[in-house]
Amino acid sequence: MGSSEKRSKDVMSDIPTFSAENLQNNLKVIQNSRTFLSIIAGVLAGIIGFTGLTGFVFYFVVMLITSVGLMAKAGFSADLYFDSWNRVLFDGFLGGLMSFVLFWTFAYDLVHIF
Amino acid sequence: MNLGFLIGVLGVLILSHAAYSTIQYRGLLKITEEEFSGPPMNVVLELIVGLALCMWAALTFPGKFLSIHPDSDENRAVSLPDNSDFMIFNHRGRLFPPEIDMKF
Repeated sequence: MGSSEKRSKDVMSDIPTFSAENLQNNLKVIQNSRTFLSIIAGVLAGIIGFTGLTGFVFYFVVMLITSVGLMAKAGFSADLYFDSWNRVLFDGFLGGLMSFVLFWTFAYDLVHIF
Repeated sequence: MNLGFLIGVLGVLILSHAAYSTIQYRGLLKITEEEFSGPPMNVVLELIVGLALCMWAALTFPGKFLSIHPDSDENRAVSLPDNSDFMIFNHRGRLFPPEIDMKF
């Protein structure tokens, strides 16, 4: 299993080929960051006492800040680390929503009900 | 990795301290029978600090971004092999002109 896909006649134009293993590593990094921040956002929303739509708005705000942070981490040049901008900005946006709601209700119960 | 992990732990500790302060504040409100409209100002400040620390930790702890270009300097697929003692260059191939621009 080679770590990079490269054919000898594509040496000069390597636009369609890239190192898939590194791309997977980068996607895993984004996923981990977003999951961790979803949990933190949930705990925060529960502590502040958001109920209803305000909490979801808060989640999207935190995810937008995360996107900006990830872009800054990639040095604002997605071509070097990903095959398209959409991966950096929108991958895993909704995957963290469930973790957010779980920890939101958990923290809300902990702080405000018990 | 260590610094990001420590900052993350610190952020989580600050958040849990803020949660405990809010619980105490709610207990106080129950005694004075007021409505809970929002956590007190110092708790909000603590939450912002905790969020900033956790965000910084979440961006640095999971790992670095690796370049996906196959011809960047850190993605070298070929390098001088260790067994160069067994490689000979005095064969028929030396008569061919070099075709591609090889990096060493």
